[in-house]
Amino acid sequence: MTQTTTPGHPADTAADGALRVDDLSVHYGGVCAVSSISFNLAPGHSVGIIGANGAGKTSTLKALMGLVPRSGGRVQLGDRDLTKVKARDMVRHGIGYVPEGRHVFPGLSVRKNLLLGAYVHSWRRQVDEPLSQVYELFPVLAEMGGRLAGALSGGQQQMLAIGRALMSRPRLLLLDEPSMGLSPKLIEDIMQALLRLRTEGLGLLLVEQNAKLTFEATSECLVMENGEVAITGASEELRHDPRVRRVYLGL
Amino acid sequence: MKLRLTGIAALAVVAWLLPYGLNSYAIHVVDVALIFAILAIGMGLAMGIAGQINLAQVAFFGVGAYATAILTTREGYGFWPAAALAMLAAAVIGLLVALPALRVQSHYLGIVTLGLAIAFLNWITNAPIAGGAEGISAIPVPPMFGINLFSEYLYYYLEAIAFLGALAFGLFVVRAPLGRRMRAMRDDALAAGAIGAEIPLLRMTAFVLASLYGGVAGVLYAGLIRYVAPETFSLATMFLLLAMVIIGGRQSLVGCVIGAIGLFLVREELTDFATSAQLAYGAVVVLMVVFAPTGLAGVPARLRAAWRKRHPQSSARAALRPFQPFPAAPTASSSQTAILEVRGVGKRFRGLKALDDVSLTVLPGEIRGIVGPNGSGKTTLFNVISGLYKASAGQVLLDGRVVSGLPSYQLSQRGVARTFQNLRLFGNLTVRENILVALDRTRTRSIWRYALWPIGVWRQDAALKGAAAALVDRFGLIDFAHAAPRSLPYGIQRRIEIARAMAAAPRLLLLDEPAAGLNGEEVGQLADIVRSIRASGVTVVLIEHNMGLVMSLCERVTVLSHGAVIAEGTPADVVATPAVIEAYLGDTTTMADVPIQIPSEATR
Amino acid sequence: MQVFFQTLVGGLSLGAIYALVALGFSLVYRTMGLVNFAHADVVMIGAYVASTFYMSAKLPFVLAILVAIVSTGLIGVFMERVLRPLENKDFDLMLIGTIGFGIMLEAIAILVWGATGRAVPSPVKAAPLDILGVRIRTYSLVVLAIAAVATTVLILFLQRTKRGTAMQAVAMDHEAATAVGIHVGRSNAIAFAIGAGLAALAGGLAGPLLYVNPTMGASLGIKGFAAAILGGFGNIPGAILGGLAIGTIDAFAAGHFQGYSDLVTFLVFTVIIMVRPTGIFGERTVNRA
Repeated sequence: MTQTTTPGHPADTAADGALRVDDLSVHYGGVCAVSSISFNLAPGHSVGIIGANGAGKTSTLKALMGLVPRSGGRVQLGDRDLTKVKARDMVRHGIGYVPEGRHVFPGLSVRKNLLLGAYVHSWRRQVDEPLSQVYELFPVLAEMGGRLAGALSGGQQQMLAIGRALMSRPRLLLLDEPSMGLSPKLIEDIMQALLRLRTEGLGLLLVEQNAKLTFEATSECLVMENGEVAITGASEELRHDPRVRRVYLGL
Repeated sequence: MKLRLTGIAALAVVAWLLPYGLNSYAIHVVDVALIFAILAIGMGLAMGIAGQINLAQVAFFGVGAYATAILTTREGYGFWPAAALAMLAAAVIGLLVALPALRVQSHYLGIVTLGLAIAFLNWITNAPIAGGAEGISAIPVPPMFGINLFSEYLYYYLEAIAFLGALAFGLFVVRAPLGRRMRAMRDDALAAGAIGAEIPLLRMTAFVLASLYGGVAGVLYAGLIRYVAPETFSLATMFLLLAMVIIGGRQSLVGCVIGAIGLFLVREELTDFATSAQLAYGAVVVLMVVFAPTGLAGVPARLRAAWRKRHPQSSARAALRPFQPFPAAPTASSSQTAILEVRGVGKRFRGLKALDDVSLTVLPGEIRGIVGPNGSGKTTLFNVISGLYKASAGQVLLDGRVVSGLPSYQLSQRGVARTFQNLRLFGNLTVRENILVALDRTRTRSIWRYALWPIGVWRQDAALKGAAAALVDRFGLIDFAHAAPRSLPYGIQRRIEIARAMAAAPRLLLLDEPAAGLNGEEVGQLADIVRSIRASGVTVVLIEHNMGLVMSLCERVTVLSHGAVIAEGTPADVVATPAVIEAYLGDTTTMADVPIQIPSEATR
Repeated sequence: MQVFFQTLVGGLSLGAIYALVALGFSLVYRTMGLVNFAHADVVMIGAYVASTFYMSAKLPFVLAILVAIVSTGLIGVFMERVLRPLENKDFDLMLIGTIGFGIMLEAIAILVWGATGRAVPSPVKAAPLDILGVRIRTYSLVVLAIAAVATTVLILFLQRTKRGTAMQAVAMDHEAATAVGIHVGRSNAIAFAIGAGLAALAGGLAGPLLYVNPTMGASLGIKGFAAAILGGFGNIPGAILGGLAIGTIDAFAAGHFQGYSDLVTFLVFTVIIMVRPTGIFGERTVNRA
């Protein structure tokens, strides 16, 4: 077994701590998308958020990142209060973000996309190691280094988006529906990568519509419905819970 | 209302008596100010009402003035015949400028129209027939039944009548169906097209109107000053006009007039400090754009809104009334010809396959559900059916006739209506006006009535308003009829969008996620509305994620995944299909041991 | 034949100036999706500042241009800051806002330097070169050289530096850019400043070629716009080719149509735009939802 570690263990562990979300709410105009939800994520653990479309999963993640305004609630990472931190500074606190729909920079090469993931670090000194680690995790990106990101297939773009988020050596990775639009084989590949990242100690907050992927990739799950947390529990147990199917299929 | 009439009467008296109190310089200033006011109205019609960037207004002005000048001094025409031809020339130029507007918008349009202004300036500065830099002088005084219009005092009355006519016509157009359509186009051209507005023709109309106003102003200018030269029609004048319209408030014609006359008078006062004045009004434009985009005309509305915020009405809160079902249509013989047929439709976006060989058939009177996980292509399919996208492969047929490739406004004319996932209501129109736009089924080619038979337009508008009142009442929106949609709760906005879609009298209604963001009670009301719509003879196809709603509402369901149809049938059948379960949950083995129970309608 | 080549060289050197104007334009458009109607007036201010420092303060020509670049850079930063609330929200209003700034800049120019304008002596005193019977003003070559250097520096900045790459990323997807830690507002401000700086360079170089006056922005601007669109709005190499093309068309039009050259250029441009609105290289637009 090779000894390479995947990015995610910076030397500084001073603020290494649990992610605590308290009473997070998001309103768009008059609509309540997320209604006062709370959850914790211990360092190095993995939590999934699943639910039908419109349940508020993506809004939760975006609100966490500060990409949409929160109408209430607090976010803490260890002893640091992230509630007032701007979205562009989240990455400096060790949070990597993989947006729904990939959102790679289509006119830039794969390599440039990855380098931008390490924007907050020096490109001269702090980039080679995470870059080689990402290439090792997703070999296809190494082959396509010079290709324009826009020309990549959906699955390759997803790998690129994850790789880009890993370049800043985050402690916690937020992923928004990475399986969307991907074939089962690719979903399997992504899952293997996520499992590997987990074993290396990277914290994972995975928002997904695909319940199967989430149960396998995380140890705990929240099931959201209409902006609220309907069910929580260990992934292993929720696998067999009929309530989950009801929430998804409205049954 | 009475206050308004007394105000107008007072203004009329002042306007009539004005020349008596002014010296010859002052009346000259007023005369020129009125010309700018007419120009500003034209610009407001194009920019503020129709949303078209029009930086060529000064060229239309110039065409009117120069054509009059050339035809009278060089070709020997009488003033009024020359004026008529000048107006025609302005209209033709307006049409020509509109052509680029059909292909480009916003900044491109700004550049093209600005380029036209410069090109025109270039031509009049060089062409010998236009007199070059010296311009053309000795334009004859317009003859007027023995009244000597050489006097600027008397010319004032001619201008006042022209100005009043121009303003009245402008206000008439704005309040009439044509103006409403233009404002809808300005607010959301996509949605306007989807309810039948013929966007290209509307854009051309906007430019022709602007050019006609420019032509009138030009003719009046030629008759007043009796000398035309390039400096008057320069870019500086164009930007001054723009400033007038922005400061006054481009969306209000009265605002444009106030801005024009106000800025013109201020400039005249500060003639000795012309450049500082220019610096000032440039700064005001920037400040207005950032802080007060609705201009001076929008100030009363903003004050009122701020007042209401401080003193919230304690009177009876506005409430959504219950929906009144449509009268049921006589049961038509069960027709087997599909109302909608999708044959092998594919759609690619730069290598990404969004739809892959999708086929489905919807019979008249059905309620069909289209479901599938996120990213499966449902909205793309709707966009292809409603004409927003062109299919890369396959065909769409309506009543057996191929409609694929037709623009959305033509599909609307053939009876297809839709709502949008992200709500596309016309933000600057009231709820009632949103519905009025959709009710208007006339074609743009009948706009000749505005010039020649305004009574017909008036009558049509009254009929539309009657129909709108009935529809507003039916959907329980009476309390909100005059509200701006943006300020209303989400559930009410959704209902407005459905009401607007039904106003277009469709035979096929496409609803894109109508239940998104609705609570349980609202979802129930939605289901009742959809059933009533179907009972009135309209076929409904809806995209939904709320499976409970789909199950209880739809007779048949089509499931999409990765752009392809993976299942079709009754809701009960579809939900038990392994492929469907896998698409949603990721695996058929997940919870395979747990039986599925479908709730009956009673327990929902 | 001689006349042809002379006109061509003249057209190319003027075209280099248009190319610089177009570059500044395209850069701002590509990063912010904003068409800056004040761009041409910034060129004019640049021309005035450079010529003032060159003629009155007797600074070396290059230094005078550098002063102009810094001053207009600051103007650019100021403009972006004022219009920032409208960014990504209402493009039409932003456009009108820039027109407002243009009006202000023209007024400032008249207040500071008067309305009459000035002729700027060429900084290159050498006699015109004679190559194969074609007389070429040395200054024309200097302009071409400086423009080439500036373009190269810009391209290197955009493609080789972290800030430049980040600027391109912001143009493509500002939300993803925020997620990786890029300050979008600051990036836009820098783009604006660079655009303004390029405008000043164009203006400073144009001084000895054209007559510097407060309204020179109009003609230069419209041709710079046309050049940018011709090459594909937002496309950097396209802006250069577009500029050279417009400069050449303009030079030949001036030769044959004299005063009507603006009109001819505009007509050619309109026809091309109607046929192919995305320009020769296609438009590389900002990702607007």
